[in-house]
Amino acid sequence: MDFEKLDKIIHEKWRLAIMALLASRRGWSFQELKGELKMSDGNLITHLRTLHKLGLVSVTKEMRGRPQTSYALTAKGRTAFRDHVAVLEQIVKQWKRK
Amino acid sequence: MMNDRSRAEEDLRVIRTLMERATIYRAISAPTALVGGVLSILSAVFIHLSNQSQSLIGRPIRPREFVFIWIDVLILTVVMNALFVWREARSSGRPFISPGMKLALRGIAPNLIVPAIFTLWFLKIGFLGAVELELVVIWVVFYGLALLSTALFAPRSLAILGWAFLLTGVSVPVIANAVEGLPDNVPTMVMGLTFGLYHLIYAACTWSRKRDAGEQPVDE
Repeated sequence: MDFEKLDKIIHEKWRLAIMALLASRRGWSFQELKGELKMSDGNLITHLRTLHKLGLVSVTKEMRGRPQTSYALTAKGRTAFRDHVAVLEQIVKQWKRK
Repeated sequence: MMNDRSRAEEDLRVIRTLMERATIYRAISAPTALVGGVLSILSAVFIHLSNQSQSLIGRPIRPREFVFIWIDVLILTVVMNALFVWREARSSGRPFISPGMKLALRGIAPNLIVPAIFTLWFLKIGFLGAVELELVVIWVVFYGLALLSTALFAPRSLAILGWAFLLTGVSVPVIANAVEGLPDNVPTMVMGLTFGLYHLIYAACTWSRKRDAGEQPVDE
């Protein structure tokens, strides 16, 4: 088991961080994600669009006094994230057995 | 292989840190603790001076007045806390009632039932029996339990504050039984020590971290 088995889309520093936060609870606003990850608007929106296009992240737009966009993992995204973490754990375990 | 393993471990560490940080909720912020602490110290000093010299209002504080003073402190602190949370929610785009707040309220609420009922009983007939110390012990113990009920998702500093309240609360009756001739102002002293001093210490310990983290919930 090595890094070749990992999903290249998810295994990018910022996208992995975004997915980790989205996996921790349902519904994150853009501002929350930005504040937590200390990312620029442009960088964050680019990665969120990539994840959304692949069906890993859902986008909800609503009015709460002002327009607010919130993001969540889709079922596919949750499975992909879980699988990704499992592969990482296997890499670590494999090395410990040797 | 070694490189892969290090990278995998680092990735897992980052994932774990992010997920833990996202689920941590601080039920009492440093500014709230500061406001509560200062108000409690001022109230304790006011009650103490009124009872000692009677120079402030010309007579000692009556038992029901004692309760109303502390209820006022509670209301003022809760209102200020709501203001701090609202301001923080507005600036960060979070909802005012966040998932963390809902979780904390669900944990805290059952611990408020006993002190609320005991306080109502005190206001109705309990004040006739000079049981301020018992009332204060109930407040301190259940406040400690309320804080500890959030310990699973709260930063360590909040759990320590909860333990400090709980241990102080349970030790007061023991000390009161063991020591003869305690002064009458013990309830006021206990309130000043716990809700005043403990909150001020908590605010001082968490203030710098709050500023570093830009008021994000942080692990301490």
